[in-house]
Amino acid sequence: MSGGREAILQSIRSRRLVQSPKPQPYSAPKTEGDLAEAFAQRLSFWQTDVRMLDSMADVPAAVADVLRGKNMAQRVHIAPDSALALDLPGIEVLREPPGQNDAAVTEVPFAIAETGTLAYPAGKGRPASWHFRPVLEIAVLRASDVVPELEDVLKRLGGVLPSTLNLVSGPSRTGDIEQTMELGAHGPKSLAVLVVKS
Amino acid sequence: MNLDPRNFQQAAREALNDPLLRPALGRMKTHFGAGRAAAVARYGDFEALREAGKAIRDYAVTHLDELLTQFERSVVARGGTVHWARDAAEARDLILGILRDAGAKTVTKGKSMVTEEIALNPFLEANGIVPVETDLGEYIVQLRHEPPSHIIAPAFHLSKEQVAETFFASHTDLDPKRSLVERNALVQEARAVLRRSFESADAGITGANFLSAKEGAAVIVTNEGNGDLTRLLPKMHIVVTGIEKVVADMNDVAVLLRLLPRSATGQPISTYVSVMAGRRGADESDGPQAFHVVLVDNGRSKLIGTEAQDVLRCIRCSACINHCPIYGAIGGHAYGATYMGPIGAALNPGVMGVENAAHHANASTFCGRCAEVCPVKIPLPRIMRHWRAVEHSKGLAPRSITAGLGVWAFAAKRPGLYRLGASVMAWFLRMMGRRGTVHALPVMQGWFAVRDFPVPQGRTFQAQWKARRQNAAERIGLEGGNSRSRQQR
Repeated sequence: MSGGREAILQSIRSRRLVQSPKPQPYSAPKTEGDLAEAFAQRLSFWQTDVRMLDSMADVPAAVADVLRGKNMAQRVHIAPDSALALDLPGIEVLREPPGQNDAAVTEVPFAIAETGTLAYPAGKGRPASWHFRPVLEIAVLRASDVVPELEDVLKRLGGVLPSTLNLVSGPSRTGDIEQTMELGAHGPKSLAVLVVKS
Repeated sequence: MNLDPRNFQQAAREALNDPLLRPALGRMKTHFGAGRAAAVARYGDFEALREAGKAIRDYAVTHLDELLTQFERSVVARGGTVHWARDAAEARDLILGILRDAGAKTVTKGKSMVTEEIALNPFLEANGIVPVETDLGEYIVQLRHEPPSHIIAPAFHLSKEQVAETFFASHTDLDPKRSLVERNALVQEARAVLRRSFESADAGITGANFLSAKEGAAVIVTNEGNGDLTRLLPKMHIVVTGIEKVVADMNDVAVLLRLLPRSATGQPISTYVSVMAGRRGADESDGPQAFHVVLVDNGRSKLIGTEAQDVLRCIRCSACINHCPIYGAIGGHAYGATYMGPIGAALNPGVMGVENAAHHANASTFCGRCAEVCPVKIPLPRIMRHWRAVEHSKGLAPRSITAGLGVWAFAAKRPGLYRLGASVMAWFLRMMGRRGTVHALPVMQGWFAVRDFPVPQGRTFQAQWKARRQNAAERIGLEGGNSRSRQQR
């Protein structure tokens, strides 16, 4: 089928064409004030349980509380090789991929203040499918990793993309039946984000 | 179900008389229209954002060969393969070949209008491969053997009761006494059924909202997360998309991402944005082990350098559809084509041929709302007008219309005759009118079957214009006289 490539390129090149100039760089309206606060406020709007914690030491109690609030067993899935060094007393930790009724605790490398978005570059200890398999995702984020906009995430990645970069703004939803929003279409029905200040 | 754009008029008439369609179309303004307006108002300078989006897409459309070859190099560098398909048949064969080479029997699919365009599903089924649509709306219409009626809300035309009927009829292994009254019960049932498909599929096929040339990435926006499970769980991911979706780099994608969800559903960002660049990395525990991109031309490249070139800027947000009075009256199925509403009217005659899709370009009031809301400023009415002109010049329009226009054009080039004709016409309409309205005439019966015409009030435009100019000339003469008299004092 190598004929297709040349034929298509030839068809494009044979057109009478006025080439448009390289676009001017665009600068989006900037987020004012504290980035983590702006992030938390915007993501909360999308049915997400966002909690500000003083330190990593507060994470285990918050995880237990989120699970209790959802009437779920004290059991979570954490990816093997995850950078999250969590000691979760009283909570069973499983390492295999979560099923559709399970809870997962994930590490968030970056978040975006402009839209209230979690940014997950896939990598070692950060399997991409884990943001879609469970019914509840509890994401742990450091406040200092909140950046103003998507362009900043791209900069921090140094121009090299991972195989998958997932941007997540709230739990899975659908409006496909009568244009009325319902949560938990395929991905998590609930999303909790623990923002650790220091 | 109309599957032929040439049957548009008959199908539109049927749609107008379909009582089941009314509640769905009633939701168009309240849900899509209002949502977009609020999101645009909150953004700040949305006009500057539209200009930026237009410039990015214009650059891409006029540098397609460079960007596509760069995209190909970037994908290959990441261990992926790029395939080029001239038309629908070539695309179908390529995809079947990729699936057969991998021994794939079942395929999950994320939402992709291009795979609708190339009619991939029936072809795969005929060749022993089971495609399962996983976007909820697409899944529902697939079970019903219907095409999508809207490009971002495929089951737009259905009520929850119709969806429940469909699930009872299709999910026969589930308890027939279960309750599917609530929308959420329907969503949860589809979630459970489709999760099994995700876990057992041999390959996943998604579309792409954007391709990024520099990084070799395909980008999709979804709210459900089905596109991601489609990519990440099977061994192979195939992206099928149009050649015009490519842009220079991810920074351009970041700008377009601010336009797309706001224009589509009124969200500042969709729940999920997935940037998919090649197969899984060496240190990753999941993701596809093989990555293919099928680039489909299917009539797109021949629009470059023509009056219709701007339509290639389209990012398929559906804002034009959601604000179209024609779509709002007849819905999507009447078009008999993958792309409906104003974008269909501007695109279909170009890629399907004017002889097949001229009705779409004619189905417009030229109210201009579509161009006002288009995030990349496509002059949709101007392109529709272009297709109307092509239809006329090729002699494809009905003889009654070309003859009528011929008479009008003959008179319009002869001012004396035109003046006389207009006066006679105005007199005639006054004679035919009843209480200020003309309900019927011996000619143009088709037009009058569904419309009334107001009786002309007062004199013709040309007569009024002449009178105004005379008045104005007299006033200037008077003022001139006054100023002279002031100077004399």
